[in-house]
Amino acid sequence: MNIEFTSNQREFREEIRTWLSAHVPKKRLMSFDTAEGFEQHRNWERVLAKDNWGNVNWPEEYGGRGLDLISWLIFEEEYYRSDAPLRVSQNGIFLLAPTIMEYGTEEQKTRFLPPMASGEEIWAQAWSEPSAGSDMAAIRTKAVKDGDHYIITGQKTWSSRAVFADWCFALVRTEDGSSRHKGLSKILIPLNSNGLTRRPIAQLDGDPGFAELFFDEVRVPVKNLLGPEHGGWGVAMSTAGFERGLLLRSPARFQSAAARLVKLYKSREKYLSSGVGEKVIQAWLDTERFCAATYQLVSRVEKGASISSESSANKLFWSEMDRQLHRTAMTIMGAQAELEEGLDSIDNGRWLDGYMFSLAGPIYAGTNEIQRNILAERVLGLPR
Amino acid sequence: MNFCFTDDQQDLIDAAKDFFDGENTFDRMRSIAKGQKVESLWPQFVELGLLGVMAHEKDGGMGQPLVLMAAIAEAAGYSGLPDPFIEVAGITIPLSASPEKLISGSSQLAVLSELRKYIDHNLGDGTAVKSIDPLRKLVKVEGSCDESDKANYHGAVLSAAQLIGLSQRMVDISVDYAKDRHQFSKPIGSFQAIKHHLANVYTQIEFTRPIIQLAAIKGGINVHNAKVSAIDTAMMAAETAIQVHGGMGYTYEVDLHLFMKRVWALCGEWGDRNYHMKKIEKYVLQGDAKLGPGNTFN
Repeated sequence: MNIEFTSNQREFREEIRTWLSAHVPKKRLMSFDTAEGFEQHRNWERVLAKDNWGNVNWPEEYGGRGLDLISWLIFEEEYYRSDAPLRVSQNGIFLLAPTIMEYGTEEQKTRFLPPMASGEEIWAQAWSEPSAGSDMAAIRTKAVKDGDHYIITGQKTWSSRAVFADWCFALVRTEDGSSRHKGLSKILIPLNSNGLTRRPIAQLDGDPGFAELFFDEVRVPVKNLLGPEHGGWGVAMSTAGFERGLLLRSPARFQSAAARLVKLYKSREKYLSSGVGEKVIQAWLDTERFCAATYQLVSRVEKGASISSESSANKLFWSEMDRQLHRTAMTIMGAQAELEEGLDSIDNGRWLDGYMFSLAGPIYAGTNEIQRNILAERVLGLPR
Repeated sequence: MNFCFTDDQQDLIDAAKDFFDGENTFDRMRSIAKGQKVESLWPQFVELGLLGVMAHEKDGGMGQPLVLMAAIAEAAGYSGLPDPFIEVAGITIPLSASPEKLISGSSQLAVLSELRKYIDHNLGDGTAVKSIDPLRKLVKVEGSCDESDKANYHGAVLSAAQLIGLSQRMVDISVDYAKDRHQFSKPIGSFQAIKHHLANVYTQIEFTRPIIQLAAIKGGINVHNAKVSAIDTAMMAAETAIQVHGGMGYTYEVDLHLFMKRVWALCGEWGDRNYHMKKIEKYVLQGDAKLGPGNTFN
């Protein structure tokens, strides 16, 4: 075992730190779940992409730097340390891109990855349906082949960023009469397609963070099929592995929140009851555990291991850690916890935003109940 | 940066694990619990060279680091090994200037530390005390040594590692029980109420092992992080395991209690939760240590 960074990795850290300190917007951007905030965040993606900082672990030909995942973790650490904007392109770069790299044709890689990296095309995920939530294999949205096109009809929901995004990656039923996990395919669909209607859904904070998507005979070229036809479940599970397992939530995000929590605690210590300090410590400690575990997971992946069911443990851990961390912040703020901005608000309501968002963590990317079932059945071997 | 064991190291860990699991059987532990004489494993520890895992190569050891010893301690914990092997191989020998007698098995000795009141009766003289763990025969000792800081470091890491091994074992025997035990015409392990309990423990184990390894390599605050995490995980594992076993878990007949009681014992050895938590409190809440991303491995 060796836990030292190489001199190249140390230089890389310095380089990204210097770049970020010169480029991170001084003023926090508006929420990317507003029309104006979305464009602000898209512009930030352009700034990142211009100097090739958007996706350091991607191959160079698609807009990356061809670096390993350890370097990506270093990037993330410096990124969150600098308090840079959240990534509006996260569904594309963290979830879809690894799947395109694994399953996509050369043509698809060249067509989709560079504009994803540059922020010109922002992606949303379109998997869940009103009757296919935790039971995702109950998907009913249909794609019928008509020559070199699919004709898609049905309904998707909980599609994050879809109100303002440009494309979605959907899981639909391509095989007529198929059921459950069989006969599904992953298809890439422009959100401005004819016959596609988006209905914004306001989230807890009041902003339209996700959308319902209605497909009424939407025509999509067959070349937008990603991976094998009728083999979409396997393709989707590889995305889910990334979503739950590694890329979407790196430790830096939570470690940065934990460091801010300690500051918040110190600034209000005299008002707090004796147990609060231990809750703050637990939040910090859990972020350290998450960091150590992630470096270990990345080391294993770099050695050739693949991420499978154990990614469910990852998702359970970070989502519950995040909720606990933010709940502790709410406790510390007391009567001021409800203030969104302006007079008496703390950090312009940032903790409140964080707490609301943390409540989504145990639900999205497969509810934590589903993750526990996966762990119990596929890792521990308990009967179905 | 490569936070994994080499293949050679993994082979060594696997061999030690096979040895512990093969030798320290339920029958052996039950016999010890009943006060019957069992064969000492010490000659085999000597023969396999396991006592010298951490000793310098010039002293006939393998020169392996503490992190490897931690993995062996996890395996020992998993098997429920009551012999004070981890203590001697992971603390006494690496701290000893002339470990030859210890490696050859002709003497056994414990390092004294203010963090440890009770030691195995084979490792020193003192007044007998009675542990709830029927496999621990202890004597009370007092005092500390010049190297007690290093002993405390090794002790905390290795007790944490044993706790994780014990946790994993309790999960495994609970899984076996839940597959076997039927109620409502089904194995109880098919019910989500049982599944989710065990999945929670599994998750805590997976997120405690790496911080123990980090503690073994890097020391410092990580040692306290590791022990607190291991204590909380192991207590949760024990309470979950007894719940899954139902009334059977509350008996002396089912072997679960052997592992559970070892957890209670190791939680207090080499610094209890209060001791380690106070260190973290000082570091996080009172100190000016750099917190946040980029500091864990730097």
